[in-house]
Amino acid sequence: MIRTRTIRTIVKINWLYLKRDVVALGLTFVLPLIFFSIFAVIFSGFGGGGSDAGPPAIDLLVVDLDSTETSRRYVAALGKQEALEIATAPSPTEEVPEPAPYTLEDARKRVREGRFPVAVVLPPGFGATLGAFAGDSEPVELIYDASNPIARHSVSGLLQAAAMTAGPDLLMKQGLGQLEEFGGPLTDQQRRAVEEAEGYFQSGEAAGAAGPGGAAGLVAVEAVDVRTFDVEDPEEKKRKRSIVPYQAAGIGVMFLLFSMAGAGGALLDEEESGVLERVLLSHASMTQLLLGKWLFYGVVGFAQVVLMFVWGALVFDIELWTPNRLAGFTAMAIVTAAAAAAFGIVLATLCRTRSQLSGMSTIVILIMSALGGSMVPKFVMPDFMNTTALFTINGWALDGFLKVFWYDDPAASLPRALLTLAPQVAVLALMTVTFLTVARWLARRWETV
Amino acid sequence: MTSVLTVTSAEKSFGETRALAGAGVELRRGEWLALLGPNGAGKTTLVRSIAGRVRLDAGEITLLGTRLDTTSGDAVRAARGKLGVVPQEVALYPKLTARENLTVFGELLDISRPTLAERVAWALDWTALGDRADEPVERFSGGMKRRLNIACGVLHAPEVVLLDEPTVGVDPQSRERIWQMLEQLRQDGASLLLTTHQLDEAQQVCDRIVIIDHGRDVAAGTFDELVRQTIGSGRRVSVVLEGEPPAALLEAGLEAAGGDGTSETLAVRVEDIGEELPELLARIKAEGGRITDVHVEVPTLQAVFIHLTGRELRE
Repeated sequence: MIRTRTIRTIVKINWLYLKRDVVALGLTFVLPLIFFSIFAVIFSGFGGGGSDAGPPAIDLLVVDLDSTETSRRYVAALGKQEALEIATAPSPTEEVPEPAPYTLEDARKRVREGRFPVAVVLPPGFGATLGAFAGDSEPVELIYDASNPIARHSVSGLLQAAAMTAGPDLLMKQGLGQLEEFGGPLTDQQRRAVEEAEGYFQSGEAAGAAGPGGAAGLVAVEAVDVRTFDVEDPEEKKRKRSIVPYQAAGIGVMFLLFSMAGAGGALLDEEESGVLERVLLSHASMTQLLLGKWLFYGVVGFAQVVLMFVWGALVFDIELWTPNRLAGFTAMAIVTAAAAAAFGIVLATLCRTRSQLSGMSTIVILIMSALGGSMVPKFVMPDFMNTTALFTINGWALDGFLKVFWYDDPAASLPRALLTLAPQVAVLALMTVTFLTVARWLARRWETV
Repeated sequence: MTSVLTVTSAEKSFGETRALAGAGVELRRGEWLALLGPNGAGKTTLVRSIAGRVRLDAGEITLLGTRLDTTSGDAVRAARGKLGVVPQEVALYPKLTARENLTVFGELLDISRPTLAERVAWALDWTALGDRADEPVERFSGGMKRRLNIACGVLHAPEVVLLDEPTVGVDPQSRERIWQMLEQLRQDGASLLLTTHQLDEAQQVCDRIVIIDHGRDVAAGTFDELVRQTIGSGRRVSVVLEGEPPAALLEAGLEAAGGDGTSETLAVRVEDIGEELPELLARIKAEGGRITDVHVEVPTLQAVFIHLTGRELRE
């Protein structure tokens, strides 16, 4: 028989305990906000976060061994790339107001020391062969640090773009020279037309302006955020979308699991102090005790998730305040908190001591979080890892929260929006029941021996 | 007196360890019974089996007329509802106040709401913690925690109370207070079974004593009965004489038990104090001895315990 009075008492005890324990309160409600904020600040940079901030520019060391007009124009074009922060010489100091340009040795040394993720060396003869199609151009040396593969690949692409913006007139000349070499000389009329066009190319207008997500080059690019198609307001259409909700879900769920695992440890403390024995000597049964604790932890977990997302909405522009999102978020927060609370209890019943619980929960939660997408977005994971994510709380919770905040259909009715969450809600509910059942079975060791 | 609790031939093993090997105990209505035994003798296991926390391998437990080991369901729950258990550990929520601890444990004991308020008030008064009722228990002294620990176990006014080492680790003043509390419980009609290491106090306050060793009861009865069963009615008598003792007395079997230059003590064991002591004193006088003092050794529970178990209680 389930006695609601006993469960209420268990909830009351835990609430009084949490209320009196300032450290536990801080760990439960303040620390997650701090972590959340740190990650939100990091990730709001990548998506724009509603501000002009973008991903940080890549520091690029440039060594110009060619020192021709063409190579200087090329370096200048590199400097105009938003994604690059170039340096051709050390910063001036009082002692050395005009430092010498970097050398090849400087480039290798500084990349090796981690002071630059990547360096570009323009070899002698670079200008003379820029844009040569015959494969006889002098190769640019790209010195990179393997620990930052993104910088290497980004710079590789930007080098090509810079070639187009640095000197379209040079490229045209180079191209026409090769055309004449292989196809015969131009006519006088053609030559005059080219000379007339040269001024236009030298002015830089031909390089064009970079679009929102790309650079000018051989192919003009206009990047369009898929979430702006239905937006009428031109200003709103231009606004960059924050990917904070994407990461908020991941961090939120991971923190929730850590909190619940820690809270579940109270069972072990009570066993050690003899309180568990006394509770079981009363009219309370183990089932009632576990249900009471699960209910309390679930409510605390729900409050934790709500707090994180409300904080995210107020400070980091998470769009929470629409009926569909509020309803979907509430549904996901409830089932996620319920599953996490049950997970915390099952871990506690599995372990014999606090230190066991601490070690095991850290390992299990980190693995689940890595597989489930809390640490690294699932789209960068191989297929088999996406499959294993199906066995984690994080995987399902994240899917649900992303459906609410990222992959939602703004035009959908409320019931329809909620219906899309049915698989995630169902699986998390099933996990909750499974965890509680296993916990009850494991808790037999605390009953009559 | 009728029995309120009877345990017979209780057996329990934990793996290779045999905790109970046929132990038995009987608690009578309104009685205060001490369960004594060295560490590991099986006392706590016996108490926990009565409380329902340990399932016996064999044996019978009857509480208030209900067989706990064979009866199931409501009858057992009803019988156990009249049982109060005070564990050896201070099993309290340290961050909760005294009043909150009493309230939550009262709720867990299923005391009805109107009664609970009265019982909490009674418990605070009984433990003399009324003025500290709203302070977190973690600020209490060891003795105060012990008192509250007992109160939480008897809040539902049980007929039978099991107390596992209720005074362990408290100072003599607090211990005295706890004994007074328990005496009051008994006067209110409760029957008490307690395990303790305080032999002198068990001897003073308890009606009967059961000594348990190696998982079985080795003796039971009042203190006088235990003394008779074990060390008998023999006493060691010491007689202090002025100056050197007459040689005839030493030759007659009295042994020199020390002296300080001006007096000498002679000691002898007598089997019947009533008959032999007057004869002894007369003989010393007849031999010219001048008696300045006489000591008769009083039998103690400690002596009984060592006689029965061959070791000190704390071994």
